[in-house]
Order: sequence, then C-alpha cells, then structure tokens
Amino acid sequence: MAATLKPYLTAVRHTLTAAMCLEDFSSQVVERHNKPEVEVRTSKELLLTPVTISRNEKERVLIESSINSIRVSIAIKQADEIEKILSHKFMRFMMMRAENFVILRRKPVQGYDISFLITNHHTEAMYKHKLVDFLITFMEEIDREISEMKLAVNARARICAEEFLKRF
Amino acid sequence: MILLEPNNRVVEETLTLKFKNAQAGVKHESIDVTLADFDGVLFHISNPNGDKTKVRVSISLKFYKDLQEHGADELLQKIYGDLVTATEEGYNVSLLVDLENIPDDWESLVKKIGLLKTNCFASVFVKYFEFQEKGEEGAKRAVVHYRDEETMYVEAKADRVTVVFSTIFRDEDDVVIGKVFMQEFKEGRKASHTAPQVLFSHREPPLELQNTDARVGDNIGYITDYLHYHIKCSKAYIHSRMRAKTSEILKVLNRARPEAKSTEKKTISGRTFRPS
Amino acid sequence: MTGRLPACVIDNGTGYTKLGFAGNKEPQFILPSAIAIRESARIGDQAARRLGKGVEDLDFFIGDEAFDATGYAIKYPVRHGIIEDWDLMERFWEQSIFKYLRAEPEDHYFLLTEPPLNPPENREYTAEIMFESFNVPGLYIAVQAVLALAASWTSRQVGDRTLTGTVIDSGDGVTHVIPVAEGYVIGSCIKHIPIAGRNITYFIQSLLREREVGVPPEQSLETAKAIKERFSYICPDIAKEFAKYDADPSKWIKQYQGVNSVTKQPFEVDVGYERFLGPEIFFHPEFANPDFTTPISEIVDNVIQSCPIDVRRPLYKNIVLSGGSTMFRDFSRRLQRDVKRQVDARLKLSEALSQGRITPKPMDVQVISHHMQRYAVWFGGSMLASTPEFYQVCHTKAQYEEYGPSICRHNPVFGTMS
Repeated sequence: MAATLKPYLTAVRHTLTAAMCLEDFSSQVVERHNKPEVEVRTSKELLLTPVTISRNEKERVLIESSINSIRVSIAIKQADEIEKILSHKFMRFMMMRAENFVILRRKPVQGYDISFLITNHHTEAMYKHKLVDFLITFMEEIDREISEMKLAVNARARICAEEFLKRF
Repeated sequence: MILLEPNNRVVEETLTLKFKNAQAGVKHESIDVTLADFDGVLFHISNPNGDKTKVRVSISLKFYKDLQEHGADELLQKIYGDLVTATEEGYNVSLLVDLENIPDDWESLVKKIGLLKTNCFASVFVKYFEFQEKGEEGAKRAVVHYRDEETMYVEAKADRVTVVFSTIFRDEDDVVIGKVFMQEFKEGRKASHTAPQVLFSHREPPLELQNTDARVGDNIGYITDYLHYHIKCSKAYIHSRMRAKTSEILKVLNRARPEAKSTEKKTISGRTFRPS
Repeated sequence: MTGRLPACVIDNGTGYTKLGFAGNKEPQFILPSAIAIRESARIGDQAARRLGKGVEDLDFFIGDEAFDATGYAIKYPVRHGIIEDWDLMERFWEQSIFKYLRAEPEDHYFLLTEPPLNPPENREYTAEIMFESFNVPGLYIAVQAVLALAASWTSRQVGDRTLTGTVIDSGDGVTHVIPVAEGYVIGSCIKHIPIAGRNITYFIQSLLREREVGVPPEQSLETAKAIKERFSYICPDIAKEFAKYDADPSKWIKQYQGVNSVTKQPFEVDVGYERFLGPEIFFHPEFANPDFTTPISEIVDNVIQSCPIDVRRPLYKNIVLSGGSTMFRDFSRRLQRDVKRQVDARLKLSEALSQGRITPKPMDVQVISHHMQRYAVWFGGSMLASTPEFYQVCHTKAQYEEYGPSICRHNPVFGTMS
C-alpha cells in the first residue's frame, strides 16, 4: 500500500501546480461581479475539464479548475467504521474553523470529505508552490492523524477494560 | 481518574457539613436539596416535617420495583438498620439521621449513606450469588430496567452467575467507539485471571436479547456508566488531538503567506503603536 | 415535565466554578476553577506536548484536589471570565460532571453561563464540546448578568419581574458594572472596577501589619480574609465612625482568635477600624489604589448615564448586587444613598440652569439586596432551569445536528412571562 502513496502524491502535486494558473476575471454575465467561476459556473468556456486522481477506490482527489479559481476535493481513506467517524468528525471540526483556513470550503463537494477553494486572490497573496505544499502536507497529515487516533482510541479502550477488570 | 467512584459525593459532603455544624454547635439550618446520580437516580435531602434536627435522605430509582422483587428491602434493612424510616412520598427508600444524637463514627455512617445507590443495586447480586453457592438452578431470571431502554438481566446457574447488560448508545458515533471498548473488554481477561469472562455482541441477540450485551459477574454493575464515561473521555481526547492538529496544519498554510513587513512600533512601555 | 431529571447548572467563573442541579437554592459544589495536569518536558507546542499515547489525559485533578496534588502543574482554563484553554476546559467539565455531579450527561439538560462580551465563537466551541463529547440532550448558555437579575426576583413580587437593571458583580478579582435592558447586555456601557474582594483583603492585611505583631507572617493573608468575612461592614460616614470607635472602643473593637499553624500557639488580634475601612475602599478607592480614585457610586452613575436615555430610569430603579464581595452589611444602603445623591445633584443643577422653568421628575434609585446574593448567578440559573419554559428555549441535540453549532450563538431571553 505504502508504495503507491508517493506516486499518488506526486501526481497530485504536478496536477495542482499545472492547474493553479489563475487570473483575475470579472463576470461575463453580471456587471461588476467577480466570483469564482468554478462555483458559479456561468459559462462553459471558463471551466476546464475536471481531473480525478485516484489511489484506490476510497482515496481520490478531484481537481476542478476554471479561469479564476480552482476547487480541490479530497476523499480520505476510511478502512473501517472507526476511521469513518474519526475522519468525519475531524473534517467537520476543521470546516467549523474555516474562517482561519482561508482556502477551506465550508462544505465538501458531494462524494468527497473536504474541499478547498483557491481563487486568484489567494494565489496573489500567497506563494503558489507553498499552497501546493500545504495541500500535499494536508493529505499526508490527515491520513497519519486518523490512523494515530484510531490506535489511540484502541489503546485507551484496552487500558480502561484492564483497569475495570483488575478490580476483581 | 480512570475508575468512577461508587459513592455519591454530594450526599456525603452535605451530610458531613451537617454533622460538623451540629457538633460545633452551629444552629441547625433547614435543608432541601434535590440531586441526581447515574442511571436516573434522584436523591432528596430534606428535613421531615420541617424538623431541623433531623435530616432525611430519600432515593428514587425508577427500577426499584424490580429490585424489590429480589430482596432490596431486606438487604437495606440489614445494612442501614434503624436508619431506615417511613418512605417519603414519591421516593423509594428514605433514611433518617438525627443531628441531636450523632454517633462517634459518623464518618463511616456518612460513607454508608453515600453508598445508598450501590447498596440498592447490590441486592440482586447478593441474592443470585447465594443461589449459585447453594447450587440452585432454574431460579427465575431477574430483570432490572435500570434505565429507559436499558436492561440488566441476572441469572444463576450451578457453576456461574450470568449478568447481562443491554445498553443503548443514542449517538451513532458512540456505537462505533463503544464497539471498540467492548472488544477490549472481551480481551481484557488476559490482564487479570480472576476477572469474570466478558462477552459481547452487537445487534445479534445472545440469550434472546437485543443490542450490545456484556456479561459480567461479581461486583456491582457500573459497567455501563463506566463505558459511557470513557466513551466521552475518548471523544474529549479526540477533540484535543484535533485541536492540536488543526493548529499545526494551519501553521503550514500560513507559511504560504509572504512575511508581512512588520510596521508595528512599540512604545517605551511595551504598548503597540499603530499609525492610523 | 414530571419525572424528568433536574437540569445541571454550571457557572464557570475565573476563580470558582459553581456546580449543581437546578431547583436547589445553593450550588452543590463550589470548586476553584483550577486543573492540575502532568506536563511532560517534550518539545513541541503546548497542545502537542499534552497528548499521550494512552490515558494520560485522564490523569488530572480539578478544584481543591488540584492544589493537593503534588507533581502536577496547576492551570486555570478560564481567564477574566472567558474560557481560554478549551482542552483543559473540556477535561474540567468531564470531571465536574462525572466525578462531582455524578450525572449522566445524556439524561440532563445543561445550563452554562458566560460573561458579558463573550465572543460568539466561544458559544459554538462550548456547544461543540457539550453536544459532541457529552451528548447532552439540550443546552442553554446564559449571560451571567442576566441570571443575577433573575436571582433578584426572589425579593420582589411576581409582577415586578424584570430583566432590565444594572448588575454590580463583584467577585474576588474584579468588579463589573453591567447594564442590562430587557435581557440584553448593553455591551458598550460595561465598566470594570479594579477593586474587589482580594483588594479588600490586601488592604486589611496592610492595616493589620502596621499594628498587630502577633500574627504569623505566613498566616497574615488568611487572617485578613477571615476578619474581612466575619467582621467587616459598610459605615454611613467614616468620620463619625472613627468618633464612635474612639468614644467607646470596648463596644466596637472585636477580637479575632487564631492558631499558629506551626507552633499551635493561639494568637489574638484586635479588630478595630479595619472593620469598616476595608470595604470602604469601594467608595474611597484612593485608600488602597493611588491610580484609581473613582468611587463605585460614581461609576454606576456614569454607566447608567452612558446608556440609551429610555432605559435610564429602569436602570436606576433596579440596581442588583451579585457576588461574594457585595455581601458586606449595609452595602446596598450606602450605594443607594451615594448614587441618589449624585442623581439628585444633577437634577438640581438642571433645574437651576433652566432658571426654574423645568422641574425634573425625581429619579427613583433602588439598590436591591437579597439572600441569594453570594451565588446569585448560579441561583438565577438554577431557578430558570427548573421552569418548564427552560426546556422550550434550550437548543436540543436534534437542532444542533440539523443546523450546526452556530445555533448556540443566540440564546433567547426567557423567564419574565411566567
């Protein structure tokens, strides 16, 4: 399994670097509006073909780009029930604090666990390569954290059970 | 704190204060306190008929009827003796303490009253352990509805006493964490050989029961409270981890920002000065 | 609503946490809001350091037990009334609920309190912890000042129940003057006074130190505290009070007996002028603090004067005291008199300035003192949480799951109708 992680992340990294090519673009429909086209979808010609990069059935990344914005959605591995609730809890926890994560979307795209929306304003204010770095680190960290949490919960359960039964 | 304490602190502290005040000769004050305990137990500490020298501790258990069938009254009579008094309206058992006549070992008395709830529970177990010792079999299975939707069954066989707890987790996530805990309880016997065997099942009813079951013998059944407590602690722990991780990830994101030139100036007293 | 278990009322203050079940007159537990944890010396930031692999996070004590524990670091998760450390707060609640209250949180509704000017995000974080970790069925977050107002209802008729008034909340660390109009705090007009219980204790301690030599130095603070709690009161006029003491010292000077904790030798302290001088620093702060010289009555007056004009009369009419440091005898009378004097002087001035053409309607100033003052906030919470209305205004778990934590940003005012 672990052998596929590196190529997967490399693929994501290159795709992101290529996709994150954004410019300021005012709305073609409404005067003085300037909105992320990937969200408002006012015109087909401003959208690019979305790309999905899959590591396996569960883990995949959807990259949708447009003229002035890009949306990155991540599906996190959820091998069993406990990983599922942990990742669900964790993602909700982060999305609640989305105002701190300027690029985090408050709701994930359907079928994914968490989504980011990067607009040209973000790429203008932040280093592009560092943003890509962030997304990659995010993916790695989340996976690791969830497996660690799972182990920790198991360890706690064991200690608690032992303590309880020791009394007899 | 890993294990929960069996005694009720509020009851103990309230009584201790009463006794100490009475001994110090402080004027008796009226008392009227209602408090709860796990498993929907309600305590009421008051002065019967407004007599400030007497303190009555009443307990109300929703499932007391179930316990009564198994000799709770007799056991309590044995433990508390003449403390047991006429039961207060709306409660199941009442104990009365006279502040004008304090025994020397009032501390142990307070302890005993603090364990009132545990002792109510104990009756069922005491009875069935006796059955088991005598080798009687086929006695009726005891059923205690100790909480809404949660039931405890006690059964005596010649070679063992089986206690079945059926518990319901109202939260989806709790079910999953609960399962992890149950699994560990099942394996927990490795740690201590004298511990009773624990089996559990999820959704498939063993012994014609529904939902998650654990079989535990001996000692008073605090297992469900214990489980509920630890599941909550685990969630609190997960929260702390998430908080730590979130701030860590946030730091990575903030690295993407070019460092803003610091225009902040400090005054001599250390206050920040911002030219507006 | 019969048969429902009582709601849990938790008032987390900076210094002390008040815990108990609704419907009671006093909190069942009053614990210092302190938590003792083991901190490992590992590197990394604070949050990461605390995380262990096993159940290290269960190894902590709260309240008085925190001070007795050795080898632990003591932390205060609440600062200036506002929760700062959520990790520790979550654990503090964990133990308050399971060890002290012994309540299964799934079976009880919860009423928590918050200081005025608490950021709304904090309500969301609180809701997140309460609903997700503890699975509480319902939660209500009440503003402390509003609860203090509700607590004062005990001293009045049912028809007079109002949630408009000025709350003077004085604890150990700081005193707040908080105007409340119809259940909502007028945030911009709140004033803080750096004089509270602790300052009085220090002041009495310094007075004793000058005169009494028998007090062991390490016990001087607790001696001062005991004297403050037992003998202090507020006098109408200091000059007259001094004269009274000088005329008949034996009548007014009290004795305090203490025992030296090391040698077990009893010692005796004469308690004289400090009986009335201690609490007097509310009205003459310059006695103790050279940087702050505005008396409390003037601050109350200023606060009300800065409020919208249409609520000023009801604010003057209902000045409510809350917290242990307002318990001094005659505090309310003195405050009422002093505020009244200021208001009357102002009215008189405006009459004079108008050259008699305007005769202002006299202002009704009332300072309310009642039995539940010490734990007024908790008591107000306990009272409100035992009404059936409480269960209607609570945010339920179902609502939380439907709308998310933002639902707890707003907690409707209730209670005046019943």
